[in-house]
Amino acid sequence: MLSILITRPRYETQTHYLYHWSELIVKVADNGKNKVFDLQKEKATRKNVESYLKKRTPDIAIFNGHGDQNSVTGQDGQDLIVAGQNSSLLKDCVVYMRACSAGKILGLEIMKFGARSFIGYQESFRFYINDKVYFNKPLEDDYAQPFFEASNQVALSLVKGKTAKDANEDSKKVYRKIISSLLTSNASNSFVIPDLFWNMRNHVCYE
Amino acid sequence: MTDQKEMDAEIINLVIARPKTIPSDASLSVGGDEQKSMTSEDLIKEVQQHSEIGRQIIESQLFFLRSLKDLPLEIDA
Repeated sequence: MLSILITRPRYETQTHYLYHWSELIVKVADNGKNKVFDLQKEKATRKNVESYLKKRTPDIAIFNGHGDQNSVTGQDGQDLIVAGQNSSLLKDCVVYMRACSAGKILGLEIMKFGARSFIGYQESFRFYINDKVYFNKPLEDDYAQPFFEASNQVALSLVKGKTAKDANEDSKKVYRKIISSLLTSNASNSFVIPDLFWNMRNHVCYE
Repeated sequence: MTDQKEMDAEIINLVIARPKTIPSDASLSVGGDEQKSMTSEDLIKEVQQHSEIGRQIIESQLFFLRSLKDLPLEIDA
């Protein structure tokens, strides 16, 4: 049994997509054996995250949201974990931050404070969307799908009990498979390939 | 201009042209301070203005082009 914390705010278009694609992770994680603490939408607050982490040490902490070198955010852009403030709360956790740039400074600090592993992105986490058509069905948006399938794989492997190193490799395999498939087809979404490369290249795993 | 410089200029022109292939209904979430979502027109402007986002767009396109020779193809039957 694994204990899993997941944050998935939803308050504008980008987090709307993150929220829905993260639902697939929650569905796999919440299999009756694991304990899943799903901080979604308005519940994705700093107060709730800190309160949970002060009482329990989850095996896996997954953050979806905006970010920068020093922080990852929750609902309405409020900071959840900030370097120099509360990153030590993730001691002994395996951490995955699907957020821009958090791998640069915050991820290193989280490791310094004793996290088991950190997976994140050193630069912006990019994705294309066609929200004019697919806002109400983001899982069917084939511009967004390659980015979220590849990045979801980290979390899907972790919640199935794989190590961070293996989860990282699994995700990179999915990136390569999608890129190869797009390169050798006439798919209308093949323009996304350079930005998939960007995410794969800036994807970091610290152990 | 040397052959190498001419080739570099050609590559940059090729990279600048690539955002023009992005469909008009697509927008790219690029993060950053302003958490922007950008259309192909926006991306072309950023490249032409040599902004930080434009620089990153060029960097990612060049990285992609250079990586093609090393990409292991994994195609399932």
